[in-house]
Amino acid sequence: MQRVAVIGAGTMGRTHASIYASLPNAEVVAICDLRLEAAQEIAETHSARAFANLEEALNEVEIDLVDICTPTPTHLDHIKTAAAAGKNISCEKPLARTISQAMEVQRICEEAGVTLFAAHVVRWFPEYRRLKAIIDSGAIGETVMVRTMRGGMLHGGVGNWFTNLQMSGGAVLDLIIHDFDWLRWCYGRIRRVYAKGLYAAQIPGKDHTLVTLRFDSGVIAHIEGNWARPDKFCTSVEVAGTEGLLSFSSTDSMPLVIKHRSSDGTTSTTSVPDFVATRTPYHLELEHYINCLEQGITPDVTAEDGVEAIRICEAALKSISTGEPITLV
Amino acid sequence: MTPVKIGMMSFAHMHAFSYAAALKNLDCIEFVGIADDDSKRAAKVAKDLGVKAFAEYEDLLNTDVQGIIVCSENINHRRHVVVAAQHEKHVMCEKPLATTNEDADAMIEVCKRANVKLLTAFPCRYHPAFVQLKHTVDSGELGKLLAVKGTNQGQCPGGWFVDKSLSGGGAIIDHTVHVVDLMRCMTGAEPVRVYAEIDNRMFGKDYDDTGVLTVEFSNGMYSTVDASWSRPKSYATWGNVKMDVVGTDGIAEMDMFSQVIEAFYDKTMSYKYEYWGDDADSELVAAFARSIAEDTPPEVTGEDGAKALAVALAAYESAKTGKPVSLV
Repeated sequence: MQRVAVIGAGTMGRTHASIYASLPNAEVVAICDLRLEAAQEIAETHSARAFANLEEALNEVEIDLVDICTPTPTHLDHIKTAAAAGKNISCEKPLARTISQAMEVQRICEEAGVTLFAAHVVRWFPEYRRLKAIIDSGAIGETVMVRTMRGGMLHGGVGNWFTNLQMSGGAVLDLIIHDFDWLRWCYGRIRRVYAKGLYAAQIPGKDHTLVTLRFDSGVIAHIEGNWARPDKFCTSVEVAGTEGLLSFSSTDSMPLVIKHRSSDGTTSTTSVPDFVATRTPYHLELEHYINCLEQGITPDVTAEDGVEAIRICEAALKSISTGEPITLV
Repeated sequence: MTPVKIGMMSFAHMHAFSYAAALKNLDCIEFVGIADDDSKRAAKVAKDLGVKAFAEYEDLLNTDVQGIIVCSENINHRRHVVVAAQHEKHVMCEKPLATTNEDADAMIEVCKRANVKLLTAFPCRYHPAFVQLKHTVDSGELGKLLAVKGTNQGQCPGGWFVDKSLSGGGAIIDHTVHVVDLMRCMTGAEPVRVYAEIDNRMFGKDYDDTGVLTVEFSNGMYSTVDASWSRPKSYATWGNVKMDVVGTDGIAEMDMFSQVIEAFYDKTMSYKYEYWGDDADSELVAAFARSIAEDTPPEVTGEDGAKALAVALAAYESAKTGKPVSLV
């Protein structure tokens, strides 16, 4: 049984807490947030205790796993605290705000002998798993070109930290890091990064980026991160191979759409469930990690994966600011 | 109004067939006839369309034809445009205008000196999806334009398109120019810097078949263009022309050839998109005739063709050097 402390009582913390509570081999024992009432509210649901910070929780309760769901710039300190206490860690992506911080947390966790899981949940999205399975099967021959898109409205998060690009790293570090990780998973090492984006332009409430990656294998990838969309979150993937093409779009894959007419009949609203799945990808992700911890095996996403994804993000941000391609050594 | 007399030189490029259909169908045009290096092809086209085939280009050019549509292999565009201009005929030339910047400049210069119009065949400008997109952008509805993601992905056309001695290049020279022209037309801005990743891994031959360009514009906007021959042989259609436009006040998504019927054919065990949208090629040909009839400057010029070509050539240079290439 894994006793879990969730740090951060925002959207992701709430989601993770509910999932741990539903797993047979995990229980939520603590919720930590500087906003104690927010922590208390989630804690009550799961009969857990609420704390204003991780240190207090570590002193007061028996904890096996610390799950970090706080804004990116705070990850470093939370990981240090948890590792010092010898606790295994799950950390929301990105692992850290900068590559040097990411390498530092990887080293700290290795030295402390604790497992650091980089929560790159897209690896558990069924469409991305299925795409990878088809790619790996060789059914479309060798991949030549991949295009991905990820975008939606930029939601602020607690205290609007997402919209502060310095804090969140913008669409590159917070949004398309998912695609970078998935692409690394599919195609291995990336050799060169070229990117354009609005990161440096700092347009309030928006970010957008177009990134080109070149892999050691020769694969070319084009990635769009779009926080300038005025509509619902959406993703797409296209994989062009020597013997076929795979194409996926979330907006074309909606098994349930609900449309309401306003009472005067003049306008309509459409609602679409976030997930039409018996188990959400977040559930599958945390279930995997808990099972790995219980059985003492290495999880499918390692700290190194988390670090390498940030290395690509940092290269993209550097390319945006310098206007030059960045070669990774 | 007297119909404008138009003829065609070469049917090497498949777009020739759709221009020919437009010449046939438009009341404002008298389809004088065709001439082609390939006499067999000429005979077949003449028979199918019921138009006259001239034995030599000179024979067509020595008639009172007013305008010529050139659809030869890219490498022959210069020669054919120049000879038409020397006979004082207005010319519409298939894209890409040429295979080198020098050829493009020379063609523009020759036509200027001969006082004939030179159009580059960029029909996408006339598609109502783009016309409405441009109108939307011009109205300011999207605010300031920040970025454009464009694609012109297609199936590999094969034939002379993959013979660099005739085409001047592969997918990049073939597919960059349409989208770059639409971006220029939409914004009034000019491309200033180009970076590209290009490869030949789709077919593994001596021509480029895949590539993504990143193009910066003089208005500060950035864009990418996927100019790959990346649609497989089993694909439901030839390809696409798409632009996703990001502005400060909104976004626009254009998928120019999405007006299709999904068709499933048991006879061939195939799945096809049957296009039912407007015929932009016909609008382009009509604009060519109009500019001759009214003696107005062409709406899509030789310079437009040269500027789009320069981006494709800069992409090749960038891919070779691994560095962004400045166009100014």
